[in-house]
Amino acid sequence: MADREIPEAIDRTVDPVVEAYKRDVDRTLLRENLKLTPEQRVIKFEQFMRGFNELRGAARRKPATSDADGDT
Amino acid sequence: MIEANLSGLLSVLSTHGVEYIVIGGGAGVLMGLARTTLDVDIVYSRDLANMQRLVAALQEHRPYLRGAPPGLPFRWDVDTLRRGLNFTLVTDIGNLDLLGEVVGGGDYRQLLPFTKEISAFGITFRVVTLEQLIRLKRAAGRPKDLEVIAELEALLEELAGGDPPAGG
Repeated sequence: MADREIPEAIDRTVDPVVEAYKRDVDRTLLRENLKLTPEQRVIKFEQFMRGFNELRGAARRKPATSDADGDT
Repeated sequence: MIEANLSGLLSVLSTHGVEYIVIGGGAGVLMGLARTTLDVDIVYSRDLANMQRLVAALQEHRPYLRGAPPGLPFRWDVDTLRRGLNFTLVTDIGNLDLLGEVVGGGDYRQLLPFTKEISAFGITFRVVTLEQLIRLKRAAGRPKDLEVIAELEALLEELAGGDPPAGG
């Protein structure tokens, strides 16, 4: 079962830069993560990072190729 | 290789009885942020017994100063911890930042009231609350954190006004 904390009131100054960034936050991703338990969130994160590392490793291992014009 | 072994690092620390608080990107992951992190940041208690437990926990994982040239003398022991405060380490189970104090939050004891306990992977550990994480990020005052603060505040708004998840 997901762990949803009840947020306390927070006294904060409105930062226009933060507010601008906030408009571009993909809240659908946050909502998906909030359905998960903390453990599930970590598993999801580590699976993503393993995939990222594999992709990065594969990109490094792939030899450079050239086309007919000799461009790589 | 990019190491982001959050569960592995926390398991090692907790099974050795280390008193610590997860902050930074690791805390963000635990709370539900959709962001990656390349290291785990913790605030550790500088109580002597705890530093001994911390040394023991990481001893077999070859901690070394991250970014330091190879061969630089670095002894992982209690004396080193006592003489320093914050350490950015690389270990064979991931990158770990040990903070004796954090800007805007103080040391372990000062930060403790602003944490909550989490159980995961068969261990329990403490993580800063979402509100405190926002305060820490704001206190750090780094331009790169502004985007993170935005996402943290959006997360707080979702918790405050979002619908309950399907299935409870």
